[in-house]
This record gives sequence, C-alpha cells and structure tokens, in this order.
Amino acid sequence: MLIEILQQTINGLAIGGVYVLIALGLTTVFGILGIAHFAHGSISMFGGYLTFFLVTAQGLPVLAAIPLALLAGILLGLLVEILAYRPVRNANHINAFIVALGLTMMVEGLNLQLFGHEQVVIPTGLSKVFRLGGITVPELRLYVILAAILLVVAMMIFVERTKTGQAIRAVAENRDAAILMGVNVKTIPLIVFSMSTALGVAAGIMVGALFAIAPGIGEGLVVKGFAVLILGGLGSFPGAILGGTVLGITESIAAGFISSAYKDVIAFVVMILVLLFRPQGLLGRAP
Amino acid sequence: MLEVSDLRVSYSGIEVVHGVSLSVAAGECVALIGANGAGKSSTLKAICGLVSASGGSITFEGRDITRASGHAIVRAGITMCPEGRQVFPQMSVIQNLRMGAYIRTDAEQEADLSRMMDMFPILRERQSQAAGKLSGGEQEMLAIARALMARPRICLFDEPSLGLAPKIVAGVFETLARIKAMGVTILLVEQNSMMALGLADRAYLFEAGRIVMEGAAKDLKNHPDVMRAYLGH
Repeated sequence: MLIEILQQTINGLAIGGVYVLIALGLTTVFGILGIAHFAHGSISMFGGYLTFFLVTAQGLPVLAAIPLALLAGILLGLLVEILAYRPVRNANHINAFIVALGLTMMVEGLNLQLFGHEQVVIPTGLSKVFRLGGITVPELRLYVILAAILLVVAMMIFVERTKTGQAIRAVAENRDAAILMGVNVKTIPLIVFSMSTALGVAAGIMVGALFAIAPGIGEGLVVKGFAVLILGGLGSFPGAILGGTVLGITESIAAGFISSAYKDVIAFVVMILVLLFRPQGLLGRAP
Repeated sequence: MLEVSDLRVSYSGIEVVHGVSLSVAAGECVALIGANGAGKSSTLKAICGLVSASGGSITFEGRDITRASGHAIVRAGITMCPEGRQVFPQMSVIQNLRMGAYIRTDAEQEADLSRMMDMFPILRERQSQAAGKLSGGEQEMLAIARALMARPRICLFDEPSLGLAPKIVAGVFETLARIKAMGVTILLVEQNSMMALGLADRAYLFEAGRIVMEGAAKDLKNHPDVMRAYLGH
C-alpha cells in the first residue's frame, strides 16, 4: 500500500510539474496585468507541436528542438502582448477577456492548420526505467520532474534576485509607485509574456513527451492551470507551486486507487474541500 | 531648476488644473498649499509623469519634460514620495529601499542604504519585515527614505502628513527639515498649511485649480486672507 502511494506520488509529481509551469505562467500574467490569459494552454500545445515537428519532420535531436521551441515561445509571447493585449491595456477588463477568448480560438485554429488533427507524441528516446525498492520511475518522468524543478527555481531566482524581477514584482504590487521608482512599465508586460509563454511551451513539450498532444488538450490544461491558481491562492507564486503539486498528486492517487475516469472529479472535489476551509486558497492571503 | 508654465491637467475631459505656473530653484523648499481638490496633487502628478499635461509646459534643468514618460522623468532626477505612502506591501523594508535605487548603477547604493538606516533607525529594526505590516508613520519614513535612495536632484512630497496622528506628523516634518538641511531641493504639497509654511522658503496658494497667491512662506503665513482661510485664525 505504502509503495503504491509512493509510486503514485512520483507519477503525480510529473503531471504536477506541468500544472505548476502552466499556473506560474498564468499567475504572472494575471498578477501583473490582470488578464485571464485563456490562450495559454493552446500556446503551450503550439510549443509541443512545434517540438514534435522539429524532431520528426526536420530530424533535429530533441535537445536541439527544445531550445528552439522555447525561443519560439518567447517570440510568440512578445507578439501576443504587442498585437493582442497591448491595444486593450487601458480599456475595460471585458475587452481583454474577449481578446483572450478570441486568441484561444485563433491559436487552436493555427495549431490545426499547421500540425493537423492527429494525436502526436514527441519521440524522446528515453525508455529506461529506474527501480528503487518497489518503486519504478521511468527515465522520462524523472527528467520531466527535474526540468520542472529547474525551471521553477530559475524563475524564482529571476523574480527574487534580479533587478528586472524586482521591477516585475513592484509593478504587480503598485504600478504607480513602480513608475516613481523609474521602472519602464511598458517593457514589463513584454518580459512577463515572454517568460510566461516560455514556461507554457516547456509545459506543452512535457505533455507531448509524457502523454500526447491533440486538439482541445490545451483548453483542458488552462482550466487546470486556473484551478491550481485558485487552489494555491491567486497571485501567490508559492501557492501556484504547492497547488500544482497537490493537484498532480491527487489526480495520480485517484487514478491509481479509484479510477482514471474519475481522476478529474476527485481532484476538483479536493479543490472544493480546500476552498471550503480556506477560501483564499492554500497560500493565498485572506482579504 | 524646475519651471512649470501655464500647466493644464484634465481627467476624462474635465480640466482640474487651469494654467498653473510655478518655479523651484536649486536648494529651495517650495510648498503648494490649499484646500482639498485645489489641484496641488494633480500638478505634482503631471510633473512626475503620472498624469499627462493637457496643456502648458514643464522644464527641468532646461530640458522639456512635459511629454516625457514617468521613468524618464525619474532618470532626469525627479522623484516623488507619493500620497498615501504607496510602499510595496509584500516586499520587505530593505527590498523597498533597493527599489528606490532602481535607476542607479553606481557602487554606492549599499552605503546609501546604510545611511538611510542610520537616518531612520526604525527601518533598520524592521528591515526584514513586509512593508505592508508597518504602521502608517513607519511607512511614511520608508516612503521618504525610498525616494531619497534615488539621490534625486529634486524630491516631491505629496501630502506626507495625510492620515497620520499629530505626534507622527511632527516627526515627519522634523524629518523633512533634516532633508532640507541636507540641501535637497523640495517641492511639497500639504494640506496642513501651518506646518508646510513653517518649513518652506516660498509657497503657492491654490484655489480651484489656480494659483491665487504666491510669495515667501513667512509672508503667506502672516497674510490675513491665508490666516483666515487656511490657518484657522
């Protein structure tokens, strides 16, 4: 029983890592710009598809395709900010909301046009399985967990320890005061979108390698991402990390012990139970 | 040093500052006094680039900054200690102070940080605490120290006494007097006219978005109209 729980926890950490990356991207955009960036999941899938394309159609090694896809994610993030959200930055919030929905449809359509409707899996060639006691850890899952940890730590260091990261925090906390400190608040959304999109693309690559990419998966992923934000506490980075990990492990344990058909239901029931007792989320601040 | 000429500020098409002209010389302390809603804070916000001027011009050290962005104005040497303190509540005291030096690239930032801690010992005691947990008076000290961390050529103070207990207000004005003695050029907006005129060299009296009187602070302090309307005499 204990072995089985540990096994499912390890499995849950991999998918939890994906949720954390998606949620960190969403929380950064939401916290700083107040935008519910629904297209984030579809853009993640674009990253997954692009990696698949670079590996299978262009014959690039996975380790070369991933940085290229991340770079494309950064550029796409810049375009999304400049072309989609910047024009409505000072308009009513509903405008950004509609833009986000329209952008989701556009990116989903773009994915279909460019990559087709087939379900695809990114070939990684990672097929080894590590065994420790009674626990088996596929090589790929281990790398996904390590990569997620690495990205989260890199982002935390960037936000906490660099001048630009502090400027991002300052804008999130008080935009006018940040201007008075000399922060160029026009460049901050560009940095935030490129960072957030790169994290989303990384999550898309992980989904494509661990499971599969297909039309519609990105939309489900973004719903999970927002669920993680609410579970962890809106606007809290540690909350997004804890929330994503908790959701991933809960889903995995539910799938292992009850049924994979009910894993989403059980995960959301856990989320509702948490919110009943902590409406502000696990690490959110009470109003 | 700072020249504001025929400045106009509008919000949603409604003009609230109607052609204000004022100047501040290097090393001077100038106060803008008047009732709530007279256009004092809007004038400061236009100087800092937080709101756009709808007319007139602002020049700083000979350079036209009327249409400059807020961050460019800070880099030019103007900082503001805003109304309501506006510290970064989730950042620690020391992180707030470091944000004050955001535009600086010199090697003396840590030395200045230490100087600010010496000037405001309470900030040294609370340096790791989240700024949002400080009392109103402590937050005002932090906001003042944060503004000074930029090493501004002119520092604008917007209602530094607002919402503070009288004893704390006295402490804030003692601090402003120390900053003035250090040679920092000050433009102060303050509803507490008595305190502001006690500190300033010169002052402008605002009424309904216009300057209706200007002169040496001591003269305004003794002017019968000002005494009757703003000083409670």
